[in-house]
Amino acid sequence: MSGHDEEHHHPSAWGPHDWSHGAPHNSWAPLIMSVGFGIFLFMLAGAFTNGIFDASYVPLVFVGLLVSLFGLIIWWRQDMSFDGSYEPMATGAPFKNIQIRKVSIWVFLMSEMMVFTSLFSTYIRYRTGIENCQTVFERGDWVEQGYTLEAGEALICFEPASHLIASSMWHIAPGAINTFALIISSFTIVQALRWAKKPLGTVDEEVRRKRVYRYLGSTWILAIIFLALKMTEWFIGFYVPEIEILGIHEHHIHSLYSEGYLINADHYHHHDWVDEATGATMLADISVSASTFYVTTGTHGVHVFGGIIGLTYMTFKAWTGGYTPTNAVSIEYFGLYWHFVDLVWVLVFPFFYLY
Amino acid sequence: MNREKIVSRTLVIFAILLIGMIAVPSATSLPNGVAGVKDSGCNCHGAVTSDSVIPTLEGLPEIYNYSEVYILNLGFTGGPSDPANINQGGFNLWVSDGTISPVDATVQSWNPNEVSHTDAGNDQTSWTMEWTAPANDRNVEFILHTNSVNGNAGSSEGGTSGDEWNRLSIQVSSPIVVLEQANPFTVLTTLIVVSFVLLLLVLTFIFYQNNPESFDWEHFAPWIAGWLTTTDHKRVGTLYFLAGFFFLGIGGIMAILIRIQLMVPGNDFLTQDQYNQFFTLHGTTMIFLAAMPLINGVANWMVPLQIGAPDLALPRLNAMSFWLQPVGAFLIFTGVFSGTGADTGWTGYAPYIVSETAHVGTTMWVAGQILLVASSTLTGINFLTTIAVMRAPGMGWMQMPLFTWSILVANLMLFLSIPAFGVGLIQVYLDRVIGTAFYDAASGGDPLLWSHLFWYFGHPEVYVVIVPAFGIISEVVATSARRSVFGYRSMVYAMAGIGIVSFIVYGHHMFTSGMDPTLRFVTMLTTMLVAVPTGIKIFNWLMTMNGGSLVYRTHTLWALGFLVTFTLGGISGMFFPSMAMDLHLHESYFVVAHFHYVLVGGTVFGLFCGVYYWFPKMTGKMLSEKLGVLHFLTAFITYNGLFWPMHRLGVVGMARRHHTYFISVDEVRGVNGEVITEAVVGALPPEVAGWNMFITISAILFFFSNFILIANVIISLIRGDKAPADPWGGWSFEWMTSSPPPTPSFGRFENGEWHDLPTLADANEHIAHEPSRFAIWFNKLMVADKEEVEN
Amino acid sequence: MAVTSPLFNVLWDEYIIWSLIVGTFTFGWLYHHSFAYRSTEGEELPNVDEIKVGVFPKHNDDLRLEVAWTVLPFLLIIYLTYISWAPLDHVWAAPGSDTRGDECLLGESSNNIFYADTGFVNSECYHVIEITGQQWFWSFDCNPDLDEEFTTRDYNLSADLCAVSSQMVEGYGMQPVINLKAGETYLLVMESEDVTHAPWFLELSTKEDVLQNQKTTMWLPMTETGESLILCTEYCGDAHSLMAAVVSVHN
Repeated sequence: MSGHDEEHHHPSAWGPHDWSHGAPHNSWAPLIMSVGFGIFLFMLAGAFTNGIFDASYVPLVFVGLLVSLFGLIIWWRQDMSFDGSYEPMATGAPFKNIQIRKVSIWVFLMSEMMVFTSLFSTYIRYRTGIENCQTVFERGDWVEQGYTLEAGEALICFEPASHLIASSMWHIAPGAINTFALIISSFTIVQALRWAKKPLGTVDEEVRRKRVYRYLGSTWILAIIFLALKMTEWFIGFYVPEIEILGIHEHHIHSLYSEGYLINADHYHHHDWVDEATGATMLADISVSASTFYVTTGTHGVHVFGGIIGLTYMTFKAWTGGYTPTNAVSIEYFGLYWHFVDLVWVLVFPFFYLY
Repeated sequence: MNREKIVSRTLVIFAILLIGMIAVPSATSLPNGVAGVKDSGCNCHGAVTSDSVIPTLEGLPEIYNYSEVYILNLGFTGGPSDPANINQGGFNLWVSDGTISPVDATVQSWNPNEVSHTDAGNDQTSWTMEWTAPANDRNVEFILHTNSVNGNAGSSEGGTSGDEWNRLSIQVSSPIVVLEQANPFTVLTTLIVVSFVLLLLVLTFIFYQNNPESFDWEHFAPWIAGWLTTTDHKRVGTLYFLAGFFFLGIGGIMAILIRIQLMVPGNDFLTQDQYNQFFTLHGTTMIFLAAMPLINGVANWMVPLQIGAPDLALPRLNAMSFWLQPVGAFLIFTGVFSGTGADTGWTGYAPYIVSETAHVGTTMWVAGQILLVASSTLTGINFLTTIAVMRAPGMGWMQMPLFTWSILVANLMLFLSIPAFGVGLIQVYLDRVIGTAFYDAASGGDPLLWSHLFWYFGHPEVYVVIVPAFGIISEVVATSARRSVFGYRSMVYAMAGIGIVSFIVYGHHMFTSGMDPTLRFVTMLTTMLVAVPTGIKIFNWLMTMNGGSLVYRTHTLWALGFLVTFTLGGISGMFFPSMAMDLHLHESYFVVAHFHYVLVGGTVFGLFCGVYYWFPKMTGKMLSEKLGVLHFLTAFITYNGLFWPMHRLGVVGMARRHHTYFISVDEVRGVNGEVITEAVVGALPPEVAGWNMFITISAILFFFSNFILIANVIISLIRGDKAPADPWGGWSFEWMTSSPPPTPSFGRFENGEWHDLPTLADANEHIAHEPSRFAIWFNKLMVADKEEVEN
Repeated sequence: MAVTSPLFNVLWDEYIIWSLIVGTFTFGWLYHHSFAYRSTEGEELPNVDEIKVGVFPKHNDDLRLEVAWTVLPFLLIIYLTYISWAPLDHVWAAPGSDTRGDECLLGESSNNIFYADTGFVNSECYHVIEITGQQWFWSFDCNPDLDEEFTTRDYNLSADLCAVSSQMVEGYGMQPVINLKAGETYLLVMESEDVTHAPWFLELSTKEDVLQNQKTTMWLPMTETGESLILCTEYCGDAHSLMAAVVSVHN
């Protein structure tokens, strides 16, 4: 309030914001978003307790998400008018003349690296510490020890998701397509940036607008495809029709869910685990394996989802012609994040899906 | 729609949401006493309470007569017991006052207040015993657990699966009516609500004082809205101070309640259950809701000022960091208000934290912590970026004030270590909510994984809270002595060294954990090592006074006090890496003494020092020196009386996180020399009781002594002397601005750029900072968009 | 028994001496400087380091002193680590080493030798016993059923060497007691049925966590007769404070 000309229109704390003033002094967004996250976590704990589901809390979970979204929209309203006129540069060595926000994205990515490092550490600890189920099955002593489906006793072993997913080309197809989808989306985001950065006068503005929003839109679509295929892989499964020319028989690719690969799977058996001699089926408790798989790949998926939210905003802004050479660098900030998400996938995919 | 309407409607909506959150019952409670243990400590077989079992207790009057003996018949009907079973039933009867004694061999006595069945008494469904009423007026409560045994002969105890039990509670009044003993949760909740209301009243009063003519809603609403939506680092810093001091008080109240419980041996002011929640909450509140916000408050205020920046790098994100704190605090406290708050300790060890015996409020504790982790991560990003990129011209890395350095090191440690904690919390949250198996030992989960993830964060965290205090002390000792800090370079390297080494010492929290001995040994070496940079700092501070002119102000006293208490805390900390000693001292009161010396005597005293030092700058008013000295003397003396004796208590065997302790009585002999009471095992030396009483009294005095600071703050806000720009003679940029500083703090924004930012000169021989070869190379690496300016 | 074990006391005494030396030095210095360098000039103060607002002041350093108080504490640390090493080796002696010997055969005794100057106890052999922690009580087993990794014993320990009983303990109520023999060394193999606990043998100054689905171990070399309380020192829930036991050592 002090230090400003009283006649000046004060930028509203609800947005939109006049960026010739500098960054927003006031914003309702932080408070509302924080409250929204709090409500979300509170209600989610109400909806599930120790794995038991209580549907009456589900609407309240969405209330929490909506409040957060409302807060985010306020943030976006303030940002929509951002035209690059205020993009402060770093003054201190060694970051001189680099945008401050770019430095902050890199710093943010460092902390994100620690998140995924911790998740990978958990995975490595369990993967190396618990014996692999296939090894246990092949050893055969589980029959005498009574770990059979018939007896109902389950032994603890590590069943990597790759055992199910990497079992056939069709099964791995969604994951492979996802990998390409993300890699291509990293390319499309760079293209969007390139077109947005083209100096004034070198390209028709309408062409620029179309290219930028189409490339951003493509990135958005690829990210959606990623999540859709992941959900198919996890929950839905898909059907492969008969194609005689290629010698493909009709069959169904089961989802992980329908195969019983669940976080609380303490009575899991793979269809291959049948002892030839006795006909007994090995029963295993694979909750830990499934938990590490779903939570690690799920955390990555949540990051993709966060990217989709950001891309929604950016595509919309691009459609209105909001990206010009002066503020094109904002696309780069997102691009850095998106490349990171892509990189994590490139590590997650072989470790969790192939190996 | 005009501004106030929007604001007031929004506030109303928030209020409704908040009330809704409180009113909505928290996640489905599990049946009480899942493992059969209640306040009375009953170990009942079977896991589920069942309404089909009906306990009965007969023979009790409504009002007892003093010292009269009553014959009690207790038993149960219902449940799966059957006369044909070998074992049919069991019970546990506990009474709060008076004594129960067996009359036959079917009943045995655990202690004068508690009886249970014997093996012989396992074959029946009713039992007889005697109760001798107290000789004075007490509110007597009987708690009876009866267990209906289904007699399956599968296990060695005669069958415990399929048993069903139930609980009955009966009150008996005294001849003269006695007041109900206060429920500590009611006390705590009342105090929290009262404190919060007081805080709001004080804020309203401050608003009134500043705007006496316009004390109405039309003016108040924008004022409040301004505070709720602010992104200015100074205001956010003030918000952090308010929140931090509020929770410091709440944490202090919890500490007092804990100390009252520990005042005498065998006390029952808090039940075990309540005590467990209280120490969990005390630790969590003090570290995450008091220490961290207070540090963030000082940092938010001072870092942009010290580096000559107009604000932080990401102002809205900064506000978000702040608002996540009260929301997180609210989640953590919902458990408390419902009486089933987290009872895991602030360290939240697995597998207890995911077991069903941990309270329901634990999930909310985890959720609140997740939000706090997010808050800290965003803070870390903000400060690192700000310090890296927004330093004034002329301020190279080695020309920054030491407080800014300390915030840099602290935030670097924080945001690299806290994601591990966040991941652990998410794993626990998912385990408790959707049922993943990260820490489910039955499925192969490993509790040590939590220990590693937690302490990988937990150890850097405690350095995160002390290093800013180091920064404050550097500033204050130097300014008070009218010298620049001795050994600036080695101070920086020492802090950086502490920052790096802090990541490889965390195993010292796991010396008795069953972790691989090699890892334990390595962390013993690294822990021993981390004393060296800390020692360098202490000696540098002492040397700073050399050849100086010490001007004694309150902040000077606090800095010197810090040097005493932190050194003591550091010395006591050196006992732990000697692992053979750690085997004794771990989880004893020696640990409690050590960490309170470094956390309270280090961090809190450092923060008090900072408050006294920077208060004139932040508010434009001077604090009263008289009250300041009084605060220091009373607090310092009572603080030492509070925590010093704990060292001895720990060595003689008082364990931490125990709701009570028992002392041996010396042999008491009767008139004829016969032994009436023998010295009994299972007890601590009698001096322990005396020391605990002394500690509790010191605690209460220490708690109240800090109100002197609050009073000082309020009085000076109302009618303190006007503060000049540089009351103490400091050199850093904050002393260049007015008191309080304007907004923006430095410079003005015009035509898309900042103008008139300050430039740092350097009294040393070499010219203003030139970028090093490394800086130039690194800069080239990052493909600057604009042309590099060769400077 | 004494409040703490001799091994602990030896280390403790050494550490206290060094703490007093370091403390006296530091606090003496602080005390001296706090008074000797008080300002006597009122508000007109000498400005040795050219302190001025907006100017980074002159460096105030002395390389020799800084090296001195880097190197000297470092040497002290090395010494303290050194004296902590041997006790550590002793506490963690492996079965089959000179310190502990192999598991006792029928009729053999540990014949503990106690070294008063270091607090070490050497044994010729050891007996394996078990403690189980669960919410919220301890149970002992003198003749546990364990894997070969821990014990190859094929006989039961005599009641003289190990017996389990119970006793009324002040405040804690009826608690289990393990009766052991002075002069013998025991290897305690431990596990938990539910969450993590840790038995602290107060007067023996030793503790170790007990974990679920994993076995941990601890040495109990008995030298003196007497009784010691065992407390739970890893928070485990509601009745954590009352989860106690007693070790009673007889001749």
